[in-house]
Amino acid sequence: MFILSFFRAVKFSLQDISRNFWLSIVTVIILVLALFSINMLLVVKVVGDTAIGAVKDKVDINLYLKGDAGENEIEALKNKINNLSGVKEVDYISKEDALKSFREENLNNPEVMQALRVLGTNPLTPNLVIKPSDPDNMDKLTTELNKIDSPIIESRNFVNHQKMLDKIKAITDKVSKAGLVISLIFILITLSVVYNAIRVAIYTHNQEVTIMRLVGASNSFIYLPFLLSSVIYTLVGIAILIGVFYPFLSLLQPYLEAFFVGYDINIINYFNNNFFFIFGWEFAGIALINIVASLIAIRKYAHI
Amino acid sequence: MIKLFNVNKKYSPNIEVLKDFNLHVSPGEFVSIVGKSGTGKTTLLKILIGQEKADEGQVVIGDWDITNIKRRETPYLRRQIGFIFQDFKLLPKKNLAENVAFALQVSGQRPKKIKSIVPKVLDIVGLEDKKHRYPHEISGGEKQRTAIARALVHRPKILLADEPTGDVDSINADEVINLLLKINRFGTTVVLVSHNREIINKLRKRVVTIEDGRIISDQEKGKYIL
Repeated sequence: MFILSFFRAVKFSLQDISRNFWLSIVTVIILVLALFSINMLLVVKVVGDTAIGAVKDKVDINLYLKGDAGENEIEALKNKINNLSGVKEVDYISKEDALKSFREENLNNPEVMQALRVLGTNPLTPNLVIKPSDPDNMDKLTTELNKIDSPIIESRNFVNHQKMLDKIKAITDKVSKAGLVISLIFILITLSVVYNAIRVAIYTHNQEVTIMRLVGASNSFIYLPFLLSSVIYTLVGIAILIGVFYPFLSLLQPYLEAFFVGYDINIINYFNNNFFFIFGWEFAGIALINIVASLIAIRKYAHI
Repeated sequence: MIKLFNVNKKYSPNIEVLKDFNLHVSPGEFVSIVGKSGTGKTTLLKILIGQEKADEGQVVIGDWDITNIKRRETPYLRRQIGFIFQDFKLLPKKNLAENVAFALQVSGQRPKKIKSIVPKVLDIVGLEDKKHRYPHEISGGEKQRTAIARALVHRPKILLADEPTGDVDSINADEVINLLLKINRFGTTVVLVSHNREIINKLRKRVVTIEDGRIISDQEKGKYIL
């Protein structure tokens, strides 16, 4: 009997939607806009995380050594640094390796290459490249490195990467906050539109609702078609969003790849891998909001 | 079948619709309720179907004390009481059979049962041959007969009729009243609210007259006295 009543409710619900076709279209469009802005927030989060990851990957500390430092001394210093708690790894770059990588980096810079030729000798010094285990905790490591006193250390280059990380984080946080406000606005609009769509549906079905009540339809049977309408709106909204959002991601992907050269960023894969999690939760969340809006409208206008 | 004990109902402190109202209707009885507009007839019917609640007193339908009926219980009460209105309340986009079937659909009846019941009740009201017609294609009397058929599908023990002849001509009004009498002969208790003096006088059944929220006359084979 429940299944039978459910199918009858689905039928009444589809009648609601078709009788108020244009209102249904507007409701779905608003829903799609709300969902689009929520998913844009996710894109911003993925891009922000990739940017922070990229900077963190580049964070290292260079300890420049004297050109005449002996192998044993260098090895001893390397081991000493390796034993520090905040160090992930230490690489030794010889004078020759440093020049080689400098040449590769400046291959397209004729002025630098010309200057090197004019000098005639290798101006670079050997160095130790220290990778921190936690780029967010650089201050502690630089303090410890400053305490190391060794005669072979020529100079120390402790660039403050923390500022850059904080900047990126601040930008992504700001974008996320703006996105969140936009999403909330859309969700509020959705709430209001669904509420009004259900209200209009109740007015359109006023006669049916009155007769339903008088011939002994259960309250749940009167509720159900309107609640189903709000779930159907959500389902159609999610389906349209998926249809629109993936082409959008395809357009965005080449730009992201160009921006994060050398880093693995694939926004489409991210959405593919989290498809059911993202769209499932969005469906559940929006459906819940719509059901609440519908229930309020039903309680107020259907006089059950 | 219907018992009201000392029922009081107010819509606001100044609008008292039923005052110390007592009424007993026995099973199978045919009772006409008459009175001027605004004397509390419709409120009485609304209390009987659980649409309104009495402020004081007690209301019993059969063995069920519905004085403080809960909202979730009203559908079960309404499946035991048929209700017809002056304005028929038929769905214009459904044909007669669909209008009657609608009452069964919304109470969760199986299609097989609906298919078997609908032609029978349409036959009782004499509209089996017009079951595919739409409300705008039939007369006022036929509309009311369709509404009666819809009220009968749950085989109610009580049929409440609120001005059922108000929107039909005199010939059709007689048809509707004859149908109510026929249903009453099958054992259904009928409560008829009407302004129609001629019909009430012709019926020669019990007449309860209400004035200003109180019963001023209750006659076994009564007349329209106002």
